[in-house]
Amino acid sequence: MLELKPMLSALWRNKVAALLIALQLALTLAIVSNATVIVMERIDKMARPTGMDLENIFSVTFKPVDNNYDMAGAMQADLDLIRSLPGVIDASVTHQIPLSGSGSASGYYTEPNQVVGSFTANYYQTDPHFIEALGLNLVEGRNFLDNEMYTIGQNDRHNPAVVIVTKRFAERVFPDESAVGKFLYAGADDHPTQIIGVIERHLGAWPGWSLGGNAVFVPLFVTNKQAHYVVRTESGQRDALLKQVEAQLAERDPERVIKLATLSEQLAESYVGDNLMVKVLTVVIALLTLIVALGIVGLTFFWINQRTKQIGVRRALGATRANISRYFLVENSMIAGSGLLLGAAGATTINEILVRDLSQPVLPLSLLFLCALLLLSVSLVAALSPAMRAANISPAVATRSV
Amino acid sequence: MLNMHNIRKSYRTDTVETHALRDFSLSVDEGEFVSVTGPSGSGKTTFLNIAGLLETPTGGEYHLDGQEVSGLSDRERSRLRNEKIGFIFQGFNLIPDLNLFDNIDVPLRYRGFDSKERKRRIEKSLEQVGLSARVKHLPAQLSGGQQQRVAIARALAGEPRFLLADEPTGNLDSLMARQVMELLELINQAGTTIVMVTHDPDLARRAHRNIQIVDGQVSDLRNTIGAEEAAVA
Repeated sequence: MLELKPMLSALWRNKVAALLIALQLALTLAIVSNATVIVMERIDKMARPTGMDLENIFSVTFKPVDNNYDMAGAMQADLDLIRSLPGVIDASVTHQIPLSGSGSASGYYTEPNQVVGSFTANYYQTDPHFIEALGLNLVEGRNFLDNEMYTIGQNDRHNPAVVIVTKRFAERVFPDESAVGKFLYAGADDHPTQIIGVIERHLGAWPGWSLGGNAVFVPLFVTNKQAHYVVRTESGQRDALLKQVEAQLAERDPERVIKLATLSEQLAESYVGDNLMVKVLTVVIALLTLIVALGIVGLTFFWINQRTKQIGVRRALGATRANISRYFLVENSMIAGSGLLLGAAGATTINEILVRDLSQPVLPLSLLFLCALLLLSVSLVAALSPAMRAANISPAVATRSV
Repeated sequence: MLNMHNIRKSYRTDTVETHALRDFSLSVDEGEFVSVTGPSGSGKTTFLNIAGLLETPTGGEYHLDGQEVSGLSDRERSRLRNEKIGFIFQGFNLIPDLNLFDNIDVPLRYRGFDSKERKRRIEKSLEQVGLSARVKHLPAQLSGGQQQRVAIARALAGEPRFLLADEPTGNLDSLMARQVMELLELINQAGTTIVMVTHDPDLARRAHRNIQIVDGQVSDLRNTIGAEEAAVA
């Protein structure tokens, strides 16, 4: 039979220790729940699909030594060479490497000469091979044609007639209607650029960007002092082909600096901060939970040692072992429950501050409840061993004079 | 009521085995008031612990109220303690954090009575010991005699058939000791069997029968105090 009222009276008379444990639990819940929501958000962020065949793509960057280097000719020769290698699905030129943290963005308008209300997107200067070379999924419209491709000098200007956009961007600019056939205007310009295709997904240059996934691809290459290719291989051949491409490009033209990296490495590098955050917060969560569990074990053992005689008396008066262990578990639950209630209020307040001042994610009530339940379980498990020890105290203790 | 036959109890450490009770036999009839005396270390407390089902004997037979209890499970022994035996301890053994009402309530809760029945029994037992007005007091707010009366009330509330008292007046002055003893006599007159361990020969003499334990055995089942006094005379 539960003895809630007498338990409360007894706790009230020993409130300092109980209060300390309750406050420790409250603080732990406030921190653990907010840390968990941040960890979950980062994990979700890192698990987002990139839209690309990530595991089978590598990038190539080269810089010629000679200032008068024939970039356009070299690129064409390089790409022809790479595409001819067995195991290469396709290779494409791009002015920025996806997921690398380096990229370009521009504002697009739906009306000519518009100056406010632009839609920002990552943009890529690329060629008709980019869909195959990145393993993208064209869900609407068509790819670029060879005759839509332009190569221009660094100081030349060219307004592309056609673009391909991501579905996310298309739905943002033209909600509830197809974007294919619609026109975009870059800056305060009256030159229309027609959307000819929509690809399902492309995470863009900055995986952490709030507008990540909004991307526009233009069939244009501006010859510069460096060039990037993306190469997609058959499954399982990436690493071998990476070495082969590096060797053959160097052999074809040794007068340049070549750097290769896999796209998965690029992505991992982009998520270094998120990964570190997840690891640090997970350690913090584990340590806090361990500390609160140890605190409960210590306090419960202390109370049991203090109350050995009392436990013996209760046993002498008819308490079974189960009555005794239940007493300590219920007492512990009452302390934990009050601490967790206080912690829930604290967690909500801290979360409001984090959301308002640091743009952190909102703590869902379900997650808060789950964290509270987890800590309650931890506190019960922590109290279990001392409670079992209390249950084994002999009733004969009651007749001992000391 | 209580029938022990050849009860043995030994405690063993790594190097020493101590025989606290050796072939200990004793019968106590229903309604009797028996005092138990003996020198320190003679086995009085061990006898009390076994009689009160606080410890199990190493060997022998023990019948309580007609039931063989030596082989019962811990749970069964707890139930029997709660239902049939009332304890009065030398140090009162009240729970310091609980007021009088809640202290007396402890064994009643284990018995499973509903709150109304518990309240009735608590009020009745407090009235019996003359402490009805102190129901909300904590033990520390009472004198030693009053605390022992609360302990008696706690024992009485379960309406036990068998009361075990371990030096019930050991921590009390003579006036309070006499009051407590008078209370025990009243309880016995009402039909409760009492076994009382004491060092005090005057108190022991007031029981119907006194037994003396020496070296873990009953030395004389007759009124040993009377016999000792006759020998001195």
